[in-house]
Amino acid sequence: MILDWLPPTLIGFLLVLAGIGAIRRMNLWRAGQAEKVNILAGLLAMPKRYLHDLHHVVERDKYMSRTHVATGGGFVLAMVLVLFVHLFGVKSEILAWALLAALVLMFCGALFVYKRRMNPPSRLSKGPWMRLPKSLLTFSITFFVLTLPAAGILPEGTGGWVLTLVLSVLILMSLSEMLFGMTWGGPMKHAFAGALHLAFHRRPERFGGGRSTGLKPAVLGEASHGVAKPTDFKWNQLLGFDACVQCGRCEAVCPAFAAGQPLNPKKLIQDMVVGFAGGTDAKYAGSPYPGVDVGNAKGAPDQIITNGLISSDTLWSCTTCRACVEECPMMIEHVDAIVDMRRFLTLEKGETPNKGAQVLENIIATDNPNGYSPASRTHWAADQNLNLMKDVKQADVLFWVSDGAFDMRSQRILRAFVKLMKAANIDVAILGDEELDSGDVARRLGDDAAFQSLAKRNLATLSKYSFKTIVTTDPHAFHCLKNEYGDFGSDALKGVEVLHHTTFLNRLVKEGRLQLDTFKGGKVTYHDPCYLGRYNGEYDAPRELLASLGIDVAEMERSGYRSRCCGGGGGAPITDIPGERRIADMRMEDVVSTGAEMVAVGCQQCTAMLEGVVEPRPVVKDIAEILVSQLSEEVNS
Amino acid sequence: MSQYDALFEPLNINKLTIRNRIVSTAHAEVYATDGGMTTDRYVKYYEEKAKGGCGLCICGGSSVVSIDSPQSWWSSVNLSTDRIIPHFQNLADAVHKHGGKIMIQISHMGRRSRWDGENWPNLMSPSGIREPVHRATCKTIEVEEMWRVIGDFAQAARRAKEGGLDGVELSAVHQHMIDQFWSPRVNKRTDEWGGTFEGRMKFGMEVLKAVRAEVGPDFVVGMRITGDEFHPDGLGHEEMKKIAQYYDATGMVDYFGVVGSGCDTHNTLANVIPNMSYPPEPFLYLAAGIKEVVNVPVIHAQNIKDPNQAKRILEAGYVDFVGMTRAHIADPHFIAKIKMDQVDQIRQCVGANYCIDRQYQGLDVLCIQNAATSREYMGLPHVIEKTTGVIRNVLVVGGGPGGLEAARVAAERGHKVTLLEKASELGGQLVYAAKAPQRDQIAGITRWLVMEVERLGVDVRLNTSADEAMVKELNPDVCILATGGRPFIEQNEEWGAAEGLVVSSWDILSGAVEPGKNVLVYDTICEFSGMSAADYLASKGSLVELVTDDIKPGVGVGGTTFPTYYRSLYEREVIMTSDMLLDKVYREGNSLVAVLENEYTAQKEERVVDQVVIENGTRPNEELYYALKSSSRNKGQIDNEALFDIKPQPVLEGGSDEGMILWRLGDCVSQRNVHAAMYDALRLCKDL
Repeated sequence: MILDWLPPTLIGFLLVLAGIGAIRRMNLWRAGQAEKVNILAGLLAMPKRYLHDLHHVVERDKYMSRTHVATGGGFVLAMVLVLFVHLFGVKSEILAWALLAALVLMFCGALFVYKRRMNPPSRLSKGPWMRLPKSLLTFSITFFVLTLPAAGILPEGTGGWVLTLVLSVLILMSLSEMLFGMTWGGPMKHAFAGALHLAFHRRPERFGGGRSTGLKPAVLGEASHGVAKPTDFKWNQLLGFDACVQCGRCEAVCPAFAAGQPLNPKKLIQDMVVGFAGGTDAKYAGSPYPGVDVGNAKGAPDQIITNGLISSDTLWSCTTCRACVEECPMMIEHVDAIVDMRRFLTLEKGETPNKGAQVLENIIATDNPNGYSPASRTHWAADQNLNLMKDVKQADVLFWVSDGAFDMRSQRILRAFVKLMKAANIDVAILGDEELDSGDVARRLGDDAAFQSLAKRNLATLSKYSFKTIVTTDPHAFHCLKNEYGDFGSDALKGVEVLHHTTFLNRLVKEGRLQLDTFKGGKVTYHDPCYLGRYNGEYDAPRELLASLGIDVAEMERSGYRSRCCGGGGGAPITDIPGERRIADMRMEDVVSTGAEMVAVGCQQCTAMLEGVVEPRPVVKDIAEILVSQLSEEVNS
Repeated sequence: MSQYDALFEPLNINKLTIRNRIVSTAHAEVYATDGGMTTDRYVKYYEEKAKGGCGLCICGGSSVVSIDSPQSWWSSVNLSTDRIIPHFQNLADAVHKHGGKIMIQISHMGRRSRWDGENWPNLMSPSGIREPVHRATCKTIEVEEMWRVIGDFAQAARRAKEGGLDGVELSAVHQHMIDQFWSPRVNKRTDEWGGTFEGRMKFGMEVLKAVRAEVGPDFVVGMRITGDEFHPDGLGHEEMKKIAQYYDATGMVDYFGVVGSGCDTHNTLANVIPNMSYPPEPFLYLAAGIKEVVNVPVIHAQNIKDPNQAKRILEAGYVDFVGMTRAHIADPHFIAKIKMDQVDQIRQCVGANYCIDRQYQGLDVLCIQNAATSREYMGLPHVIEKTTGVIRNVLVVGGGPGGLEAARVAAERGHKVTLLEKASELGGQLVYAAKAPQRDQIAGITRWLVMEVERLGVDVRLNTSADEAMVKELNPDVCILATGGRPFIEQNEEWGAAEGLVVSSWDILSGAVEPGKNVLVYDTICEFSGMSAADYLASKGSLVELVTDDIKPGVGVGGTTFPTYYRSLYEREVIMTSDMLLDKVYREGNSLVAVLENEYTAQKEERVVDQVVIENGTRPNEELYYALKSSSRNKGQIDNEALFDIKPQPVLEGGSDEGMILWRLGDCVSQRNVHAAMYDALRLCKDL
């Protein structure tokens, strides 16, 4: 027939264009810094990572996961078959039927995509994403019709050249979206970049159920530190940004966004894309940073990010709670990116805002963020009769006290925990004044030099003593010790179990070493601290402990991995970027909505933030404090 | 950390680490039983302080080391026998388990005691000079007796150490044996134990050496000394600095406690435990002066009641430890409340000196406003737990201290509490009491109670005079009447109250009646109100004669408080007349004539004045009680057996359908005092 050559030519043409786009795109990523990855292993692992790990996240939204399986799965299958049937002209009714089936599957999925786009939630980006369901439907219908003759359903030549021409126009339209758009920055880019992002992810440990939450150490002593320009990111970080589907799940869970602070994780990732690809954010069609108009941001690969692309306030609004990372179906690492950029602001520019600079100076001068006399670190324990490691040299348990030692409120948590350990006859010692701040705040504020200095000195101290377990009531110190101190080549923690006190106490209760009475107070809810939950996956021990007191936890809607941050992480209370609300107030509203009279926590920072909410409000208590008031027998200190 | 960091910096005394800078200094508790043993009540009293966070408790003010220093008058601790050792172990364990430290003051009181009881000893003193406050005559101590007493000190210290206490404090203050030797006012000896400076120091030095030799170098041995006796012939501040330096130079003293003032006269005694008429920390400068010359920590108490005051003193470095003894009697959880960021919930000592004034009468030390103090052993709580039983509607009528305490305790229990007060402000009689010169701080009792009932959400209705209909309408499950009393000025018709010839002390203090120019105050009660009325009138310029039929004006006011009244009354030229009854009052022209009759001779005298003020106590406001009594479930009765046993009232076991429970407490039953009303309120309501 007269135009039979046209569809395959169009397909081929768009494939070539897609190929050119892919190379262009890859070059944009390659402008980033080198990072070693195992290309082959990554590519081989990719399908499993997609089908298992990524799907696991997507699966939290059943509607979307089924829709995506049908649409995405149908498309990938259809596209491969299209190549055989329509480009290479393989004559096989089986393939044609298979193609028809794939297209039907895709069509069904696309209908649901269409339906969702009829009245989309605010978190979803609009703009080109609004035409995607139409493109998907067009693709499936077009190729369905085009394939009918090949399947022997319609005679060859049905519709004549007119139909072929019409179909060709539709092919051009749909494939422009699906192939050309995939590598030239259309919505389908997510499939291309997403797949490669899974293959070359910077934290491969996250796949297969693992957890990787420790920040990567900054290399110190270089000409410049941290990420100033988009090209300062590792190449696979840039790739990761490109994988964003703009679903806005991050936006929906971001506490800073909800508080009206100028941060929206989705926009941040999109701005990163604008940065390394060059251009403006004018085409961004999602929610803005609260209080900041869209369209004024300009970026280029070699342009300082905070000079025109994003405001530093955006970076300082983050509490590093990891809700966005936990929620991201593309497994993008927002927090890494934010801290990378903070490192530049702090280490190179000295622009840590508000109390930031003072806190960092305090840390450098006194080894604790609030500048207390280092000699007063153990004042809280004057009446606790605790062994000092420097005296006893070894103990079963090293209690890492953390900077709660300086804070009168936190000291109540410390004393409660000590009493529980005494009740269980634990052989415990503390470092006393030898302990230094864990470095958590310094690190989250971007001062990795201060963090590394503290880490190395703490490790040197720890290496002098012998202990099997290190326990702390501070999830931030817990995270540093467990997940971040390992990067500094010390054996001090080799073979040592690092535990949060709730995990430790839960064991004691299970072993029958703590005798506790039933709790008779009112309704209790539990707030998951970010650095215990999302950072370390400990959701069960605190709940089991409460259950052991007979408490039936009245769960908040946002609990477990979806827990809402208290607002106290990442140095956010120090940088104190203004918003419309306080994060802690919102969290307390969550608490209040359960009807609880008490909120149990497992973190002194959460305690401080939640107790900072004006009364009347539920009582805030650490789990150790709740347990100690239920101890069956009096314990001598 | 907090603004109170200075309080929470641990400090060592010798090798003993004290967790904070707050000390409960030695005071006589009058709780030791069984011949001076630290039994249950004693232990629980100190345990509560340790539980509340107090750093160091120095217990047992004037605990005796010898059998000829009597202990039974003030039920003080007896260290003259090994029998004390296991009791000390109980005491030490109780304090240590809460992280506190505990030492004991040890002393031979010399002439500062009474001989007319117990073993009927001859009291001993360096020169046999009588002690006026205790009317104590004594013999001149002989050298053999000195060495025996020195040995007794060492044995007492051993017993403290063996009992697990953390140290001993040698009392060289309050005119005990050691400072009787020091003071040239009392020590007139010419032998090696007197005369020269070294001679006067010798007895104390031998005691110190003997004690140190017995307990070794690491056990804490402190000394409590005066900073200035305030007697021209006594020890002055410069001499005390010299003495402190002299003992400090031995290296055998681990700390000095410094007290301002001697106390062997009534007037100096009042300085030692400054009541509410004194400014804050009046004698800190004396302690700071001692700290200048010694190398060991210095402790100072005396009118330090507020955490901010303590912090200011410590931050300025005047002393190393702040004694807050009465502050802990009023609220043993003083430190815990600072740590819990509940400074506003601290029940602050107001300097009423009910505690120490009872002690000087040989009665157990009690707090005017905290009935739980020293009654921990009976089960009276400092922290009221919420009830796990039914929530009741509780109506309290009357917002004096008794009613406020009832409302507070009931609200702490979790009940719904309504408080009705007739007047426009809360406080009852305390409102009037606080109007007198130098007595304003008594209002602190009300202030705390009001803050607490507000915090606890009590529905307080002022300007509300309750009657039977109102109570019925509110329909409470429990109705507590604390309606107080009214001045009883009509007892003798001849006084002419009905004709308006006399007014009450309340009329004067409340400002309802203007002070006259020439006023006779007739006071049959001889406690605070009459003295206060006289002092108030005099301060407003009235010429006042304070007349009583009792043996002296203010005879019912305790030993640390009548002197401060007297200072003021004498200065304002108030005439004080005893032994005269007020026979009658009649009008003559524009004046009033008060006819007085001498109780012992029946001789009559007349006073021409323009105002007669009568303080004759109160009669209970019991009308509402009798209106409600018959319809109440319990006919208004309180089960005394349960009440005295600190047990729940049996009537609480019944169901609420059986009608309203009616109780009354305080002066609406019979005239007693603030403590009595608050004690009843606490013990009734703690199980509500």
